[in-house]
Amino acid sequence: MKNIHGRVHLLGDNVNTDLNCSSKYLPGRDNAYVAQHAYERVAPGFAARFKAGDVIVAGSNFGVNSSREQAVHIMRTMGVAAIVAQSFGRLFFRNTINNGLPAVECDIAGIADGDDIEIDLAAGRVTVAARKLVRTAAALPPAVQQILAAGGLIAFLQQHPDWQSA
Amino acid sequence: MKMGRTIAEKILAAHTDGEAPRAGDIVVARVDFAMVHDARAANALKMIARLGVKDLPFAAKTAFVLDHYSPPPNIEAANTHGAMRAFAGAHDAVLYDVGDGICHQVLPEGGHLTCGDLIVGTDTHSVTYGAFNAFGTGVEGTDIAAVMSTGKLWFRVPETIHIELKGRLQPGVWAKDITLTMLGRLGAEGANYRALEYAGTAVSAMEIDDRMTLANHAAELGAKAALLEADDKTIAWLKSRHARAPRPITADADANYSERIEIDASVLAPQVARSHLIDDVIGVTEARGQKVNVALIGTCTNGRLDDIRQAAAILKGRRIAKGVRMIVTPASRRVYLDAAREGLLEALTHAGASVEAAGCGTCVNITGHLITGDGEVVISSANRNFKGRLGNDNSEIWIGSAATVAASALTGTITDPRDVAGGKWRAA
Repeated sequence: MKNIHGRVHLLGDNVNTDLNCSSKYLPGRDNAYVAQHAYERVAPGFAARFKAGDVIVAGSNFGVNSSREQAVHIMRTMGVAAIVAQSFGRLFFRNTINNGLPAVECDIAGIADGDDIEIDLAAGRVTVAARKLVRTAAALPPAVQQILAAGGLIAFLQQHPDWQSA
Repeated sequence: MKMGRTIAEKILAAHTDGEAPRAGDIVVARVDFAMVHDARAANALKMIARLGVKDLPFAAKTAFVLDHYSPPPNIEAANTHGAMRAFAGAHDAVLYDVGDGICHQVLPEGGHLTCGDLIVGTDTHSVTYGAFNAFGTGVEGTDIAAVMSTGKLWFRVPETIHIELKGRLQPGVWAKDITLTMLGRLGAEGANYRALEYAGTAVSAMEIDDRMTLANHAAELGAKAALLEADDKTIAWLKSRHARAPRPITADADANYSERIEIDASVLAPQVARSHLIDDVIGVTEARGQKVNVALIGTCTNGRLDDIRQAAAILKGRRIAKGVRMIVTPASRRVYLDAAREGLLEALTHAGASVEAAGCGTCVNITGHLITGDGEVVISSANRNFKGRLGNDNSEIWIGSAATVAASALTGTITDPRDVAGGKWRAA
């Protein structure tokens, strides 16, 4: 897998993706609308600043609570290249893998808004060169890497319909 | 070194071929039953269509439950319901329609799960099935597409926290008060990625309704599963619902736990979580005098028969405080009928409460009927209290047991149920 390079957009702890990146409380609104307003409650102007290929760096329990998969679909629409967080809500983490969006769990202390970040998924390494900051993340197990490499679980199952290879 | 296994490790091993997995391993395991509710069905059906597989043999082992948008508040939700009915009809899936009840109540009641099962549902509170010694866990639409086409799904085998509940709960104190205590100690998501095993004399003494609360509310701790061992009560309950033959799974005495916690249930007092954090927990006596405007009893956490019996024991022949609005939503049609038969709905209605058709009703404002005024305070038997959950950022949501909610509705202020007549009710 290629390394991911991107600009950091920082979010805090316990960011609820149902509230901040889904139409759960915006009935009838489509993904494009929600993408334009994502995370504004917790980071005013977030969606306007965010450019495709940028990286979200968040505190603990990112995607906590009901964790609608729609949040990950919307982040794909926004062009989120990866999410780095202190920790993820369980179901949110599952959704990122199932949708081929790299999510990396590591210590985020010292990483700031606007930093240029590099993520090596295979090695489990997160680097902010300008700050001489290198963090190790748990490497993903092969079965999960396979799903991520295929671009998500649907694409993986289209290639492996009986799931025997996993 | 030989090391014993937890319930979670054993259930996942029994659903996987090859070497028995340990915590931390990734497995592709056979699933016994799946659940899709209406808040996630549109996405699940979209993912099934995207996968493009026409033959879905697992549909017969999947329940579609119309519980969140019950009744549907807009055209989008009503159309989702239509799509769910059509899909269930076309693929021979199980259907629970509007008013039948909450997914986590109708699955066990319908006999769809048994001890030793692996169950997935599109809801974080799918951990409820652990009350029946089944590994139940929350998934999303893509996962459902995978299960429907292959009968299998990937899982990371979780580490387990063992919680020994010693003694037994005193009258007026409920499983809700145990989980709130746990939330105060571990914090929300304090058990993230991990399974919980609840054991001990206090669990054995609990009726099934309270055990379901115990397993259910583990979702707020971030638990991937919450598992209880089966006993005679479990087996008899499942048998009465015509469930498949139970395969009870017990933990080995030398099982490898990531953490062990002991709680003496006999000294616990009723607890409440303060607005807006589910882990900001204090004893109910510390909240005494806090005024309430709205009292809600229901949800998959505390909308069962024993909760309604407890509320009726407190409110029968009395009136809720002037100016308080109270809603009671039974967890299922069966619970509704049982409560009607016992005269509980009549007692609650006389007391000033409004009883609603079974469903997720009182939990989250997606039907549009819970909206609170600015500055209003809600006391609820639900499971989550984050800002805006009931439709107004400027109102407060406090969380407690059904007993605490009923006692608070009676006085108009947060009240220890043990201080009011009937507040010490307990199933015989």
